[in-house]
Amino acid sequence: MPAEVKQEQSPSNATSLAMMQEPQEVVEETVTIEEDPGTPTSHVSVVTSDDGTTRRTETKVTKMVKTVTTRTVRQVPLGPDGLPLPEGSSPLGSYTDSIDRRYMKNGGERFITPQATSTLTRSYNNSYNDSYGETPESQYVRHYGLHDGYADLTDNYGSLSRGVNFRPPRYPYMPNSYRPENSYTLPIRKDDYGHVAQPQVPMGTSTVDLNRSQPERFQPEPYGLEDDRRSLGPEEEEPYELEPDYSTANRRTLQGANRGRTHREPLRDGPRVRGYPDDPIEAELIDERHPYIHGMYSAPLAQPERGSMASLDRMGGRRSPSIDSIRKDPRWRDPDLPEVIAMLGHPIDPVKSNAAAYLQHLCYENDKIKKDVRQLKGIPVLVGLLDHPKSEVHRKACGALRNISYGKDNDNKVAIKNCDGIPALVRLLRKTNDMEVRELITGTLWNLSSYEPLKMVIINHGLQTMTNEVIIPHSGWEHEPNEDSKPRDAEWTTVFKNTSGCLRNVSSDGAEARRRLRECEGLVDALLHALQSAVGKKDMDNKSVENCVCIMRNLSYHVHKEVPGAEKFQDPSALQAPGSTGPQRKKKDDAGCFGGKKAKEEWFNQGRKNGESDKNYDTLDLPKRTEPSKGFELLYQPEVVRLYLSLLTESQNYNTLEAAAGALQNLSAGQWTWSNYIRATVRKEKGLPILVELLRSDSDKVVRAVAIALRNLSIDRRNKDLIGSYAMRDLVSNLPSGQQRPAKNLEEDTVVAILNTIHEIVTDSSENARSLIQAQAIEKLVAINRTSQSARETKAASHVLQTVWSYKELRNALTKDGWNKSHFQPTVTATPKATKNGKPGYDDTTLPLMEKNQDGYSTIDQRDKDCKYKTGDGSVDLTEREPLKNDTNRKHYIRSNRPAVSLVDACDVKPQPVDSWV
Amino acid sequence: MAFVPGQPVTAVVQRIEIQKLQQGEHLILGFSIGGGIDQDPGQNPFSEDKTDKGIYVTRITPGGPADVAGLMMGDKIMQVNGWDMTMVTHDQARKTLTKKKEDVVRLLVTRKSLEDAVKHSKGCYPRK
Repeated sequence: MPAEVKQEQSPSNATSLAMMQEPQEVVEETVTIEEDPGTPTSHVSVVTSDDGTTRRTETKVTKMVKTVTTRTVRQVPLGPDGLPLPEGSSPLGSYTDSIDRRYMKNGGERFITPQATSTLTRSYNNSYNDSYGETPESQYVRHYGLHDGYADLTDNYGSLSRGVNFRPPRYPYMPNSYRPENSYTLPIRKDDYGHVAQPQVPMGTSTVDLNRSQPERFQPEPYGLEDDRRSLGPEEEEPYELEPDYSTANRRTLQGANRGRTHREPLRDGPRVRGYPDDPIEAELIDERHPYIHGMYSAPLAQPERGSMASLDRMGGRRSPSIDSIRKDPRWRDPDLPEVIAMLGHPIDPVKSNAAAYLQHLCYENDKIKKDVRQLKGIPVLVGLLDHPKSEVHRKACGALRNISYGKDNDNKVAIKNCDGIPALVRLLRKTNDMEVRELITGTLWNLSSYEPLKMVIINHGLQTMTNEVIIPHSGWEHEPNEDSKPRDAEWTTVFKNTSGCLRNVSSDGAEARRRLRECEGLVDALLHALQSAVGKKDMDNKSVENCVCIMRNLSYHVHKEVPGAEKFQDPSALQAPGSTGPQRKKKDDAGCFGGKKAKEEWFNQGRKNGESDKNYDTLDLPKRTEPSKGFELLYQPEVVRLYLSLLTESQNYNTLEAAAGALQNLSAGQWTWSNYIRATVRKEKGLPILVELLRSDSDKVVRAVAIALRNLSIDRRNKDLIGSYAMRDLVSNLPSGQQRPAKNLEEDTVVAILNTIHEIVTDSSENARSLIQAQAIEKLVAINRTSQSARETKAASHVLQTVWSYKELRNALTKDGWNKSHFQPTVTATPKATKNGKPGYDDTTLPLMEKNQDGYSTIDQRDKDCKYKTGDGSVDLTEREPLKNDTNRKHYIRSNRPAVSLVDACDVKPQPVDSWV
Repeated sequence: MAFVPGQPVTAVVQRIEIQKLQQGEHLILGFSIGGGIDQDPGQNPFSEDKTDKGIYVTRITPGGPADVAGLMMGDKIMQVNGWDMTMVTHDQARKTLTKKKEDVVRLLVTRKSLEDAVKHSKGCYPRK
């Protein structure tokens, strides 16, 4: 691992490598961020540590996918007419509300009675028949009444009693308007609700869902409303959502149609099915989820077009009384879950699709129902429907699967995989040209891809298909560019976004996954083309771009070790020294923990060597290529540097910035020819100032990625000099001073990354150390060294200080500023734990702030001990440091190391989101 | 106690030192907190300024360490062991308070009665 050496070692300096127990904190390369599909955002970072082991952490935040069957519908009625709604709640109320419930409540007793007869065990057939006979009629009738009322008496439209009043007039017309299309349940529903709320279930639902599954990066917001908010944006963009004319124009006919249908279509049970879904969800929303929201969102009507947005909970406050009474009405019964799942197998297709649509709705944000569907073996049935020839059926099934696959319950995802859902989805993706279905499929795959064990399955079944069917066509890349046609731009479609999100997730699944993606024909080319196009159009803030950059970043990880033929490009200077620089350095460092003379010499030599070879690279032209590079080779061609730098300059999206910086970080790691080129190219493309500028970013992770990238770039000697001269102030300004964190309040990891970068820069360059001193860094470093509560920060700061002190020529200046040797000594003392066993104990040592004092600062040098342990050599060169012993300190360390117990009260099971016991 | 983020804050504070109590496997402080910049400040019953996203003491275990130390319900926590608590998330606050290796926490808290007391004792106190 010669390549790694450089980076790994950086945390430590020449003097103290042996002491450092966790060199790996210096992350050389990070593999990416993943974001969950519609949903969750996950970050996966892979850190390679000293010993070559890989550590992976992933955090996932899941965003719920909502199904919106009912919601969209509701709004429609309002929008088209543009009527002011007298009652806030009534318009938003779903069709269910306005029709079924209202009637049930007001007139239900009279008209709806038949329904009460249906028992729980009845089959859906029966229920259809029953309902068809009487219930539907009365429902529709009333419902028409409603519409008319609303048309004629606009102001009264919302009132409950109106429908009943109008009912008689409508009735006679019904038979006339019967239309053949109505024979299918789905279309009928559309029609039925068309006037009421037309965009209806089918359209609205899918649209909404898609949005939900979008990869938007999850941003934790306090109370859970975010979901709705998030879904808003996308929905509004959706073309099909807003079709106001559709509803108004056709109203008359539709109504007529409905009437007719009610009589003749026994099987259609549209209204019923649809009506039910509301109940559980509403109840959930109203009762449990956002109890406090009601007050805040009292004006949901303001934006009727939001469809899904206008989620039930908002209106819950107002509507709840009527809902309650309706729900108590014994004559209405929701089909229970087993019934719905049984309907999936019904011989009549519309029933299947309605059942699937209902399931999708039920599952929305309801983990319990998802789990129940799984346990009732509903998932295999849904997967089976994916191969159904009728588009309505596979579309609805896919919608249901997408909602089921969303969320933290990975068992649902596994269940889909176990019944071969992934190949079925991929098959459907190949087969269908329906954009909406494709969005659903890719959304589902994205959801599935958030679960680690499924990643490889998705790669095996779907990688090439997703690339060929979605990525390449939507990226605008053409395999054999036609000379005449000008290059096409990428289209940032939802399908592309979903697919790239899925690939982004699977690209983090280790070396094999990276290999498969790199070697997937056309993938890298298409992604790069898409990104170039984004840069060209200055459209770099969207999610698709973010996904693409993240994939690129992941694929760039360890290229120097993983791509075929990489060994041919190993850095000649690295090859010259047998055993490679890595081990050698490490050994040397081990031997001279404290910067023994010999070690230092070697460092200097090495520096010189680096410097020389660097000069060569500067004059050396990039290798001539006989043919244009393609595929994975594109990942590390110096041309990509410009792309990433453009992104870093222009993008406002923190995730994109982080990924672009991470890509440069990955590419500039390692000791092979290409990383040398990349490092030099960044400099020549004037990338260093761009990176330094980003050190001022408000985003913690951007600062971190940039800092680590700078560190890797400073492997190049010239870069190191430049960074030392120009970046030092910005690096230092990110450090906390004393107990007060800077305004940015950077995380520990970031502070450590910055300290390690500083360390790398001052190592081997007294000029840079001088810049560091001039940047007023010593005060901050000493403060961190003394008072930071983070052992890692303390350690990293201490290494920098030791390195600075090792430059004898600087000591005068330092002394003049009032510093003395004790300030540059490590503060960490031996703790019982640490002495017992290296790493963990050492790491855990965090000193309570108030217990630190001047004395505490100079203590037994734990690192000496560590050194001995590590090297087995007691006679380490300690001459430069005099470990001070101080009994009082010792005491407090021991004390602070006492029981490592959780301070969380046992009975604290997070009572409420806003209140925690401590 | 309202303040503008980024602007200096003037507050009358009390220093409270709480010795954590070993309870089974856990060390407890015996109070609960609410608030934080990720929480809805409007829900906070204790704050005067309903936009204040600070950390507040919401409950106290009678006879518990916090009770003994003089912490009171409704106190706003300004610092914990030197760490600022006025601009932190709820979870950050919880973690800072429950660090495993610390068995003492020192709080800077402020409360309405403190302000009032100061105001009364200095009739012409410039603030308000």
